[in-house]
Parts: sequence; C-alpha cells; structure tokens
Amino acid sequence: MALFLVSGSLLAQTSVSGTLRDAKGEGLTGANIYLEGTYEGTSSNLDGFFNLESTESGRHMLCIEYIGFKKFSKEILLEGKPIELGIIGLQEEFNELTAVTITAGTFEAGDKKKSIALSSIDMVTTDGSSGDVYGALQALPGTTTVGESGKLFVKGGDSRESKTYIDGTLVYVPYSSSSPNTSVRGRFSPFMFSGMMFSTGAYSAEYGQALSSVLSLKTNAMPVQDQLNISLLSVGAELGGTKTWNHSSLTASLSYTNLTPYMKLVPQFRQWELMPQSLGGDMSFRLKTGKSGMLKFYGTLNRSRLSTMEESLDSPGNTFHYNLVNDNQFINASWAGEIGERMILTTAFSYTNNQDRISMDSMTLHESLRGAHSKVSLKHRISDRVRLLAGTEWYARTFGQEFPRLETGEYRNYTTHTLTGFLEAEIYASSRFITRAGGRLEYSDYLNRASIAPRISTAFKAGDKSQLSLAYGWYFQDPDDEFLLQSSSLDFERADHFTLNYILNGNGRTLRTELYYKQYKKLIKFGVGEALTYSFINNQGDGYAYGMDFFWRDRKSIKNGEYWISYSFIESMRDYLDYPYEAVHNYTSKHNLTLVYKHWFDRLRSQLGVNYSIASPRYFNNPNSDIFNGEKSMAYQSLNVNWSYLLKQHVIVYATVSNLLGSKQQFGYKYASIPDENGIYRSAPILPGAKRWFLLGCFITLSKDKKINQLDKIN
Amino acid sequence: MKRTSLLLAALLFASFALGQNEKYYQKMGETLSGFSTVRNVEDLQKLANQFRVISQVEKEEWLPLYYEAQCHILISFMGALSAEDKDSYLDKAASIIEAMKAMAPHEAEIQVLEAFYLTGSLLVNPPQRAMSTTPRIHAALSRALAMEPDNPRARFLRISNEMGTASYFGDDTEPYCVQARELLQNWDSYKLKSPIHPNWGKEDIQGIVNSCGQ
Repeated sequence: MALFLVSGSLLAQTSVSGTLRDAKGEGLTGANIYLEGTYEGTSSNLDGFFNLESTESGRHMLCIEYIGFKKFSKEILLEGKPIELGIIGLQEEFNELTAVTITAGTFEAGDKKKSIALSSIDMVTTDGSSGDVYGALQALPGTTTVGESGKLFVKGGDSRESKTYIDGTLVYVPYSSSSPNTSVRGRFSPFMFSGMMFSTGAYSAEYGQALSSVLSLKTNAMPVQDQLNISLLSVGAELGGTKTWNHSSLTASLSYTNLTPYMKLVPQFRQWELMPQSLGGDMSFRLKTGKSGMLKFYGTLNRSRLSTMEESLDSPGNTFHYNLVNDNQFINASWAGEIGERMILTTAFSYTNNQDRISMDSMTLHESLRGAHSKVSLKHRISDRVRLLAGTEWYARTFGQEFPRLETGEYRNYTTHTLTGFLEAEIYASSRFITRAGGRLEYSDYLNRASIAPRISTAFKAGDKSQLSLAYGWYFQDPDDEFLLQSSSLDFERADHFTLNYILNGNGRTLRTELYYKQYKKLIKFGVGEALTYSFINNQGDGYAYGMDFFWRDRKSIKNGEYWISYSFIESMRDYLDYPYEAVHNYTSKHNLTLVYKHWFDRLRSQLGVNYSIASPRYFNNPNSDIFNGEKSMAYQSLNVNWSYLLKQHVIVYATVSNLLGSKQQFGYKYASIPDENGIYRSAPILPGAKRWFLLGCFITLSKDKKINQLDKIN
Repeated sequence: MKRTSLLLAALLFASFALGQNEKYYQKMGETLSGFSTVRNVEDLQKLANQFRVISQVEKEEWLPLYYEAQCHILISFMGALSAEDKDSYLDKAASIIEAMKAMAPHEAEIQVLEAFYLTGSLLVNPPQRAMSTTPRIHAALSRALAMEPDNPRARFLRISNEMGTASYFGDDTEPYCVQARELLQNWDSYKLKSPIHPNWGKEDIQGIVNSCGQ
C-alpha cells in the first residue's frame, strides 16, 4: 500500500481542465476548484477557464465552489492522462437574500434589507417632528399628512385603519393623547427598533384587524455594552441606563417633558391653561435562551396632562375649557427561537391599559381601554422553496365610557374577544418567481360572527435589479369602539385591496411605483340622534380609493448626500358615518409630494436634513352649505430643517425647525354644533399649535471606559 | 518479530502523522507568502480559495478559515466594488467567523478578526451603520483583550480607532502616540503560538508611530 502511494506520487502530473459557465453562458471568474481531501486546488481565470495540475493519482472527487452557485462535484480518475472536462455549467444556488420577494404595498428595513426603507436614524433626521416614528413615515408615499391629527392616514383610509405591532403584538394605543385638533406623536422612540415593516396594503395573512395599513416594528437585539444615556431637550430630559451580562441585559429609562418654558418663549396660536407635560418610565429586558432563542420583555408607563381654552363656538363670549389627563401602560413579552433546524416558533403577548380623563367645561368623561393580544406562530421551512406560516391569536379588549357628572352618571362598557387563525404558504417556483397564498379566520364573540380573509400575492423578478409584484386580499376590522359600545349587532367592516408594484433597485438608487385599488364594504353608517346618542347604526356604508405611488431614492449621485422624492396621487370617496351621500372624506389630499435631502459635512462633523412637503387641499364640511364635505381647505406646505452636530464622540447636539418659512398652515374650519339665532353655524379656522416648531437637544452617552461613541446616533 | 513490526508500524504512523503536520505547515507557509504579492480582487479571491482548499483538508484547524475570512474582508476594502458586492464578501467572512468561534471560543485573534470584519461592514455605509456597528467593534476588541490582554493586534486596532476619533474631534492625539510607540517597542516580545498564527499589524503600528513624528 505504502509502495503504491509512493509510486503514485512519482507518476507524472495529471492536468484537469475545464471552463465554468453560468446559465447565461458567461464565464465564472475566481471559482475554487480542488480535489476533495487534498491540498490541490486552483482558481478559474477571467474566462472561467481552469487547469489543475495534480500530482495525485487514483480516484478523486473534484469539487468546484463559487459564491451563489451550487457546489459541483465529480469523481475523476487521475492516471497521468490529461482530463478535459469541457464546459461545466454551474447551477445557481437558491438564496433567500437575492431571491425575489413580495414587495407589493411594503416598505421594509432591517439589517439585511438594503433597499428602500427608513432606518431609525432616518426617522430622526427625516422630519421636523424630532424623532416621531409616524411623522417620518409621512415622508413615504401612500400616506397623507393630516396636520391637525399627526396620525397615520394611508391610501384613503382613516387613521384607525392603521395598526402598529411591536415584536408581533398589537399596540392598542400607539399615539399620545391630546386635545381635539392637536397633533399627536407616537409613544415609542425610533431608537428602540432595529427593523421595520411598513405595509400600505396587501399585507400577509399574519396581520388582521387593519383595513389600511400595518406597521410592524422589531425591537433591538441584545445591547453590547453598559452605558448611561442622558438627553437634554428644550422641552424636557431623559435619563437611561443599560447593563449587560453574558446572556442577558437590562435597560431602564425615565423621561420628563414639560412644554411650559418653551411655549412661554415661542408664541402659540392656541391658548393653554396647562401646557403639555408628561412623566414616563420604561424598562426592557433581554435573555438569550439556548442556542437560538431570545426572550424579550418591554414595559412602559406614562402619565401626561394638558389643558386648553378657546372661545366657545356654541355660546359666543364664553370660553370652552378642555382638560386631559392620560395614563398609559404597555407591556410586551415575546420569545422566538428555532425548533429543530427547519422551524421557528414565535410566541408573544402584549397588554395595554389606557385611561383618558377628560373634562370639557362642566362635562367630564372617563374613557378606558384595556386590551390584550397574544400570538403564537410557527414558520416551517419545508424545503428551500416552500415555507409555511401558521399561527393563532387571541385578542381581548374592554372599552368603557363614564360620564361621572352627568345626572344619569352614565357608565357603559363592552368587552370583546377575538380568536384568529392564519395559514400561509410561500412557494418559490424559481428564484425569480414567488407566490404567497393563504388566509385568515377570525371569530368575534361580541359580534358573534366569523370572517374568512383570503390573501394572495406573487412577485416576479424581471431582471437582476427589477421586479414586479401583484397582490390581492380581503381585510376585516371591528367597527370603532364608540359604535360597538352602542350595539353588538354589527358586522366587520371590510376592504379589498388590489396592488401592483414595480421596483427597480441597484447601485444605491431605488425606484418604486405602485398602482392600487381599494374597495370598502360594510362601513359603519348612522344617523345622529339627540345628545350624542347614535341611532340606526348599521353596516351599509361603502367607499373606494385608487391611486398611484411613486418613490425615488438616490444614495449615489451626490457625494456625502442623499435625497428622495415621494409622490402620491389618490382619488377616494366614501359614504359612511353620518354622510348623507358619497363624498370625498376629510383626510385625503389628492396630491402629496415630499422631498427629502440629507447631507453630511465631514469637516463640520454635522448632518443637515431638509424636508419639504406639499399637499393639495383637503375637503371639509361646512354645515352652512348645502353640499356635504364640499369646501376645500388651503393647500399644505412645510419646509423642515434639522442639524445634528457631533460635539464629542459621545455628545451630539441636535436642532430642528418645522415650517422654517412660516408658510401659512390651516386645516379647514370647525363649526358650532348648533346654529346661532340667525340660523348660521359659527366657525373658526383650525390652526397648528404655532407657526413654527423649534427643538434643541443634547444627547450624551457615557460608557464604562468613556470610549464608546454612540455618536453616530445621528450621523 | 511481532513486537518489532508493531514498533515499526508505530514509527511509520508517527512519521506519517508528522509528515501530515509538516505538510500543513508547509502549505500554510506557502499560501501565507501569497499575501505579499496580492494586488487586486482576483488575487485575493485566489488566495481565499487556496486557504479554503487547506481548510477542507484540515477540518480541525481554524487558521486556514481565519485567513480565508481575512481575504474576503480585504476584498471589501477595494473601492471599485458596489456596496452590494462588498456586503456579499463580508457576509461570507461573517459566516466563517461564526464557524471559527464555535471551533475556538477562547481565541483572541478570532475576536480581533471580528472587529476587523465589523470595521469593513461599517465602512460600506458609515452614516447608516456607524450607530449600530461602532459599539459592536468596541465590544469585540474588549472581548479579545479580556482573553489575551497583550494581544498586539487587538491593541493596535484599539489605538488606531481611538486615535482616529481623537483627531476627528480635534483632540490631543499624543497619548495615543505614546501608546503606539510602546506597543511597537514591545511588538516582538509577543510570542506567536506558531509561525503560521496571525502576525500582521507591526507595519501598521509603525505607520502610526511615523505619523506621530518624534
């Protein structure tokens, strides 16, 4: 045997040659060609040609490896005679990251998604709203800016049709509470999240109870170091700390906001008796379990209060006082991990408790919402090309209204439980063609009804950089709390979505266009009776929306700069609520355009963010007119500028101004609820809180060895 | 007779084993010398392939994997590639680093390489990645120094990072010059575990010392 080996190595060299090609016939350069278990190998040249001179003999396995292609193996017999393998076609490997994905309706961000999307840094530097998640999303197409609300209005849908999920569970109250016609903010800091999926329609069967859009946020993974964060803002301060261990971490923070000094300094349109203030704390905990599992817990509680006064439209000469105290608690716990090699199990639970205590002149209202959501889902990779997603959810919600000072002392509440199940399959016919089909079943005990929602979408990768995606689905949602409080003999509201999406992506530039059509059915309608009681609540409303979204982002053309253009066109009408007939609703602008530019000035260690948005007029109802929702507000425009400056590695100074130019902003008119002695409903314009909004902040991060720059928090 | 043949067999086996080992060192040595002549992406890809060939023979060794990953990271520093291509090379490096960590969980050099990989990843898109990646670079270097406080490459990367930051903020860089000179002076006192263990960085620290002047 030893003799054979020796004699073998004395044999002349054997040359093994061939040419590597891909499916298109192009040569593959730099592939690795070797004899398995030996030190002999070579690389292919620019034409895909290789020649391996081997001193081995006998039977050997020739292996060829190239990134993105399946490993090629062939047994060969080395006996001194040259072996010519001719042209070898390598087969492309199926790769999730480069394969086609369903993009209809969706904006995605995350570590591995390099395409469109907003990162948490974008959320801070995009908008004049100083790090408000929802403010930043309004720089994406499909959304309408509704200045007097601040909430998310997507593709002709009301804000209540957009739902927010954190780590898979529903956030019942994602916005802060405020007085009527005052803009609200999201309750969560963008820096909590490392991944985002914003779907403006046609989302997967995993998501329900949302007619228009879903924002799914994924919280950060395990922090890597101990640190202390101090934020000083012109409107408050925040102090937070993180402690890490080998397999776990704990973060806690405390924040206080008080707009009094700011509002005394900067002239306000609105009159305040008590300027907004809030005190809150949150805590998050991470624990790695086993090889792949992660347990996450997040809890936050917050109390805020404010009080405004304005001239009463119903009784001229008198003032109308509005006073609000809000208490909000939210907890979220989730665990996700691999079960075997092919399955991922995710379990999640959230609980929201939101209490609004409102007094309007002599009337007081206590509104209470308690909601829980739990979800279990299993992703099963049956093969490279087939995946299954199955899950079940349970929602519970109790909503109550109490009027303590009303003579009747009226208190009403209702409780609903919803049980759901969803099943969806993703099938890749090839790495260029994917179909996702599935459905969702929901049963509500309060309505005593069930719904079945089929969803189907496909995507086709036309070239390396472009893809076309098509989606269709049914979407259901419970009627709003205020109606369910009155009646349980209602049906789910429904919307059907058709979406066609085209994306061209590559080289730091992205073009995304989308056409959509939405049909609304079974919307709530009612006739207003006396003293805020609703009569004849029914599901006979309907409506439609269609439009086009356009998005262009360029990170390449300008050195140290990037810009994006977002434009949406929409036509939408509805006959719902107390509408006498089909009309354009209040929260849609036919044209919405946003331009965003960011520039990094290296020598100044600063980033400039400029954002200009313009929206065509919205309609509102003037009760003095015969035409319902027939009046147009003025067009909206705003130029927002922000500047972040890296003072030290661990100190950032941040300043922002909204509506720098002081463009006149007015969101239509509000009217008295009863006509005056001349039969006219008195009116007043709806204005933003002030002409401009300024914010100045300083963010300090201290770590044990003072070295870590979280700098780049803004950079 | 039987005994002698057994002895012979044992000797033969020993020399065979030694021969295998020698062959490994010889092959690694040859391949490592390739680093001195690489000029472009193709050269680095070839070199990475050669280390890959060694690692599929020496399945217990992390060093061939180390150098293969290093080649992929170095490729990402080549300016001519698109961000997508850089990321695909870095992704490859990352998966190799994960495999190495499982093989040798207490090896400081692997942590240093991770810091190097993270630096490469940060440089693909600094504005987007600095925030999440900078603390991870720091954490990887801290782990390396906890495992091996005198590891010169971990110390070099740390000095280089901190000095870069200090000069960016217009702070005094002299303290880092002092550290760099000290590190250079003692560079050779660090005992390599073998001639094929990572041994880069001396020229780089020399460069820093030179830039410091006298």
